[in-house]
Amino acid sequence: MRTSLNDIKQIDDYLFKYAAPADRLLFEARLILQPTLQEKVLWQQRTHDIIRQYSRRKLKAEIEAVHQQLFNEPEHHSFSRKIRAFFSKH
Amino acid sequence: MAEMMVIEDVAAERKAFFMDLYQKAFPLVARYISSMGGSFEEAKDVFQDALVIYYEKLTSGPVELQYSEKAYLLGIAKHLWARKNNNKQRHTTLDDSLEGIATAENDPASSTEKLMELLNTAGQKCMELLRAFYYDKLPLHKISGMFGFSGTRSATVQKYKCLEKIRDTVKEKSLTYEDFLE
Repeated sequence: MRTSLNDIKQIDDYLFKYAAPADRLLFEARLILQPTLQEKVLWQQRTHDIIRQYSRRKLKAEIEAVHQQLFNEPEHHSFSRKIRAFFSKH
Repeated sequence: MAEMMVIEDVAAERKAFFMDLYQKAFPLVARYISSMGGSFEEAKDVFQDALVIYYEKLTSGPVELQYSEKAYLLGIAKHLWARKNNNKQRHTTLDDSLEGIATAENDPASSTEKLMELLNTAGQKCMELLRAFYYDKLPLHKISGMFGFSGTRSATVQKYKCLEKIRDTVKEKSLTYEDFLE
């Protein structure tokens, strides 16, 4: 792998705590010595947050599609009627 | 063609999984929320968040349930409902581990929102790969098949390439959007 990809991998191992104790120490030493590496770690962490947000939205969209199917398609009519009945008295 | 089929398989499996949970557990949750004076929409929101939480729990390791799945989902839903009502003055805030589910959708002008829009279009292929790895936590061989890689090694390399690409985008766009906001 390219050097930059190795860095990416090492940062991932560090963030997800996959690295062995010795590798972790070595990486922490590099972090102190290389401010650019520190910066990369922060951006990678932010990227993982973004990936999680993106994925949750996609998952929620899939769940919403299931909901729409259950509440709009005739074959699920008895299910949706049963649920709606809980709220009819409000 | 084969590639498309595997992606559909994974999506279809997930759909069947949620369909089943919806039918098993939503009646319980809806009845509970209704008894607490909540609306249909509120029951739906709470239940869908509970499904997301349950899904994330399943993907992060083996889950040993003491009770049935539906009892478990009802438990999460009760918890979410209680939290929602404790923070009524704020927008729905869920568990810390769930930050972003509700909050990020509130401000369409936020830099996260713009970034998300960009990633949805320009970066979608990489984002789908990264989702499969980091969020759905699918096994490597399955991911290789889904995305048409020659093997698990090339799937791993591609994952890191995508992560690098998206990291560059996140950095570049976060900086420009912040400038723009100031």
